[in-house]
Amino acid sequence: MPNRISIRIDGELVQAERGQTIFEAAQSNNKFIPGLCQFKGLSTVGACRLCVVEVQGVNRLLPSCTTPAQDGMAVITKSARLNDYRRQSLELLFAEKNHVCAVCVSNNHCELQAYAQRLGVTNVRYAYRYPKLHVDMSHPRFVIDHNRCVLCTRCVRVCNEVEGAYVWGVAGRGIGSRIACEMDRAWGNSASCTNCGKCVQVCPTGALAEKGFAAEEMVKRQDLVERLATIRGTMNPGGPR
Amino acid sequence: MSHRISDLSSFNAAHAAGLRKLMPGVPRIAIGMGTCGMGNGAEAVYHAFADHIHNLGLGFHLTRTGCFGFCAEEPLVNVLLPGQPLVVLRRIQASDVPALLDHLAAGRIPAELALCKIEEWDHITATIKYAAGQPEIPHWYDVPFFTGQKKIVLRNCGIISPIEIEEYIAVGGYQALYKVLIDSSPEAVIEQLKAAKLRGRGGAGYQTGLKWEMLRKAQAERKFLISNADEGDPGAYMNRNEIEGDPHSMLEGMIIAGYVTGSTEGILYVRAEYPLAVHRLQHAMDQARDYGLLGKNILGRGFNFDISLVEGAGAFVCGEETALIRSLEGRAGRPTPRPPYPAEKGLWGYPTNINNVETWYNVAPIVVKGAAWFTETGSPKSPGTKVFSLVGKVQNTGLVEMPLGTPLKTFVYDIGGGATHGKAVKAVQTGGPSGGTIPQEMFDTPVDYETLAQLGSIMGSGGMVVMDEDNCMVDVARYFVEFTHSESCGKCTPCRAGLDQALRILNRFTHGVATDGDLDTLDELSRMIRDMSLCGLGQSAPNPVLTSMRHFRREFEDHVRAHRCRAGVCEDLALSPCENSCPLHMNIPRFLQLLKEDRLEEAFLSVVLDNPLPASTGRVCQHPCDNRCRRSAIDDAVNMREVHRFIADSIYGTPRYEPLIEQVLARKLPPTGCKIAIVGAGPAGLSCAYYCALLGHDVTVYENNAEAGGMLRYALPNYRLPIEVIEHELELIRRLGVSFIFNTTVGRDISLNELDAAHDAVFLSIGTWKESWVYLAGTELRGVLHALPFLEAVNKDETTQLGRKVAVIGGGNAAIDSARTALRLGADVTIVYRRERKDMPAIREETEAAEAEGARIVFLAAPHRIVDDGSGGIQAIECVKTTLGEFDRSGRRRPVPTDEILRIACDTVILAVGETVDLDFVKASGLRLKEGGTMLEVDRHTLLTSRPNFYAGGDLITGASNVSNAMGWGKKAARTIDQALMDEFRWPRIWPEFKHSMTVPAHPSTARRHHNRELDPAKRAATFAETTFPLAPVEAMEETCRCLRCDIRADH
Repeated sequence: MPNRISIRIDGELVQAERGQTIFEAAQSNNKFIPGLCQFKGLSTVGACRLCVVEVQGVNRLLPSCTTPAQDGMAVITKSARLNDYRRQSLELLFAEKNHVCAVCVSNNHCELQAYAQRLGVTNVRYAYRYPKLHVDMSHPRFVIDHNRCVLCTRCVRVCNEVEGAYVWGVAGRGIGSRIACEMDRAWGNSASCTNCGKCVQVCPTGALAEKGFAAEEMVKRQDLVERLATIRGTMNPGGPR
Repeated sequence: MSHRISDLSSFNAAHAAGLRKLMPGVPRIAIGMGTCGMGNGAEAVYHAFADHIHNLGLGFHLTRTGCFGFCAEEPLVNVLLPGQPLVVLRRIQASDVPALLDHLAAGRIPAELALCKIEEWDHITATIKYAAGQPEIPHWYDVPFFTGQKKIVLRNCGIISPIEIEEYIAVGGYQALYKVLIDSSPEAVIEQLKAAKLRGRGGAGYQTGLKWEMLRKAQAERKFLISNADEGDPGAYMNRNEIEGDPHSMLEGMIIAGYVTGSTEGILYVRAEYPLAVHRLQHAMDQARDYGLLGKNILGRGFNFDISLVEGAGAFVCGEETALIRSLEGRAGRPTPRPPYPAEKGLWGYPTNINNVETWYNVAPIVVKGAAWFTETGSPKSPGTKVFSLVGKVQNTGLVEMPLGTPLKTFVYDIGGGATHGKAVKAVQTGGPSGGTIPQEMFDTPVDYETLAQLGSIMGSGGMVVMDEDNCMVDVARYFVEFTHSESCGKCTPCRAGLDQALRILNRFTHGVATDGDLDTLDELSRMIRDMSLCGLGQSAPNPVLTSMRHFRREFEDHVRAHRCRAGVCEDLALSPCENSCPLHMNIPRFLQLLKEDRLEEAFLSVVLDNPLPASTGRVCQHPCDNRCRRSAIDDAVNMREVHRFIADSIYGTPRYEPLIEQVLARKLPPTGCKIAIVGAGPAGLSCAYYCALLGHDVTVYENNAEAGGMLRYALPNYRLPIEVIEHELELIRRLGVSFIFNTTVGRDISLNELDAAHDAVFLSIGTWKESWVYLAGTELRGVLHALPFLEAVNKDETTQLGRKVAVIGGGNAAIDSARTALRLGADVTIVYRRERKDMPAIREETEAAEAEGARIVFLAAPHRIVDDGSGGIQAIECVKTTLGEFDRSGRRRPVPTDEILRIACDTVILAVGETVDLDFVKASGLRLKEGGTMLEVDRHTLLTSRPNFYAGGDLITGASNVSNAMGWGKKAARTIDQALMDEFRWPRIWPEFKHSMTVPAHPSTARRHHNRELDPAKRAATFAETTFPLAPVEAMEETCRCLRCDIRADH
């Protein structure tokens, strides 16, 4: 069986490897699809829904990060509807928590902000919820600010799948969902955290940050984690679910 | 003793033992003990039977059974006397038991307690014949609730005992399993299921045969079968009752599937909130193992398959298959993306097949009777039946199993028996929080997977909630979104954050603070959530919103633009239920409270500022306030109409009148200089004139009659509304400065253009004075009268052509008024109406009064021809008897003519079949008509017509209606005209502040509703003077003390 397949992305015929998801195929061909929860080398969860695409012959929109590319598939990554839906998704995230860029450590180094700029989010049509969420400063080196969390669960997966420490999980449900440390204890009291900081580096926003940085100063080193995760990913393709 | 079945003879032995239990030689009493029966006291009934049977030493066989479906009649008790049919008794309470047992011991069945009898029952897998007999008890299939039902899934429910495996075997149970194991051809079973086109009954409707085939083909050391009994939709309880009534059918279906697909283990995932179902299943599994039907070496055929039971922890999302699997694995119930599908990688990574409870119930019947038999029922694409839980605002609630493709109206009207309390059904909600609402106009819709999906709803697991005029569709949408919002797992953004925003927007609607923009935002957001969410919960959660917005957009608009919730559900949009239902929006609790505090003058001021004609409406209003009064939940509604009549009557014609009139005149706002013309001095025109004058405008009323009052003066008979009453009320309007120009017909004596030129705004309020045309042979004869001209002539003391024997055609107020007037003129009166009594549009009290005075009413008869006497007069009227056919769009049964002709001898026929507005003046006026051409088109919220500065209200825009509705339109028009002319909202300035108690009465009066006194019918029928008298002061006072003060909010 040949390992190369051909798919069409926005009308252009491109090559992809068998087993790649649509998202990966697009990325390896320098086609832009936004995605907040996807992280190279980690398992996919399909949670942020930013990466949905249209596939010819399929009625529904499909998340490109979990849908395998198939030979002959015709994918549309940009359309008025997709753009509108993606913008709405981002607006919902902005309205859900307190994303105040000007005072954020990740200002100008934030994936949420970058996507909003790229997709043309100039205003939020929904009412801001202004929740009063906890900022956990108990860890000696790091801080988690739930007000800036988009619940992508990258931190959860990198800790489980790469570091193997299983510090993070998701507590609550629905609009009350939040990232929790172990059985919901303060991060500083964690028995299993190795202080490796991978969760901080993969976090797309300023929710997880190193202490000691002021606004705009927190620059994440995703490439390092990506390399580790990819090496591990090749050894265990697909990763645990 | 081992019951193990290993060959045919031991199978037959179990079968015979079961039959002995099902039809013992002694009386068998089985109590319906599903959760629904127990909720209605079945447990106490069971114990009462047990105690009395024991004490009396009766050798009766007492047992329990599941639910027979008719929840509204629970507790149901099955009684089988030897040599008699099986009789289902209804609403049996423990206290009925001793007397009942006396009857049964004597071999009698009290027919008055019986719901129905069963002489033969088709268990599909077998037929059980009971004896014939008990002719006075209807057959089960003749009871409307059961007519048309086909019980395949519920074949055993309510008949056999769910705790006796032998009874299940006796009615053909485990026969299918036996057959499959003997034939040992799994492919054949799959082919059979595919040919039967059995579709998953959980809602998605995927073909079961295909799913099984996939699992069969999957190669793995372990394969799982899961039964999804995580039924969590509000209002749905099909699966619960199926399991509680007949657990073995599901087990048999699963064991067959286990063999056919080569599965190793079965898992029952049951809601922990269903303790009885869990208990019955556990018991059934123990029995099945005991009988060698489950576990190792099933039926001695060397096949191993076992089932375990897991209780779900109660998350709605765990009904979604991937979340269910996560939950079984001990993780949080959050869905995962598909692919991979469970068929490839399910529980613990092994191939897994998940079916809904009800799907399993269809397996054994298909195996036994074949695919061709199965496809005979239902629609071609969706064969078979589906169980629905029919709940909400219908008379007969319960579990209903109908062939797929049955129209919705069959469920609502034929089986459900229509709405309760004579209200109108508005919509049906199918599929629970994932489904949508289907409006009454679309009740012809066949219920199957595709058609419901086209309407934006889903069949879902089978919840069917009927809603009537008291349900606010915005609130219904809000309720379901609140449910899915709190059940969202929170994993994906659209569902987590999107539903939260959708709920916030919907809350703004119900609180009356939404804007037009919110409608669009909600629509966009709902579509996005539907298309973008990860799992079925999020994808279907916007359905209730999208369908409500599609089918009931007006209600959403009313909430935004008019701050009005017609159903009276959204509390922030109404003062109280009575105020909300009053066309004039009178502040009813206020005048009740003022009178209660013995402040009659202020009460009058409150009434007269809310309603310029209180003494008239106090006599003739249709009192919609009664229908919503919360006091009626205790005994009867507060008699609000009579209290405001009492207040008005206590002031008019007394010395207190003058100072109060001065007070009203003092409320008049400074002159604005705006000129307003009002066309028509009927109730709508007078109300508009009154408020426009109070607001300081210069008002002229044009009227083609010689006096003001419209229908009040000319159509309403004097005995209902004396002329003096109208005169009192007109005086106030005149003194406010309204000028009247009589004997002037707009369009003839003065043109619309002239009106337009001379005024800043024109309000059109012309009544329905034109007779509707009826196609009836003989209408040209002498002695055929039309209702309104007849009533008008009598009111004007003119002579009429009324004879001695009068037939009145129609069932509205005009018909009843004509009949009662004719009676007073000494005639013998028969009213002919083509529908039933409950369908009559006339005020009920009026109809009753007419009958008491001697009018005869013939129902279900449609006029056919008027027979002449050979000299141009009338000899008789011939009517065709009608029967009640299908339900029409008005939710009433359509009268269908029969061959039977009824001849009523008479010399006069009064036609009261409806009136319309004479719209001649509209020609070339720039005023647009509504579709149909009988009414004027206006903006619903401003009442502005298609011509600038022209407003319209009353009958002109709604068709013939009643006094209070007309006045409501006039009042509303004054408000919107003033706002348009003055560009500010000055409306509230009319009312002074009334200070009164705002404390909920700790002890509302326990007195019953007071009715006004009337002369006795014989005296009444001899006079045109008023014959109903106002409440006595003490009675009116007591009525005010009966009010529960719904206008007071807890946070005030």
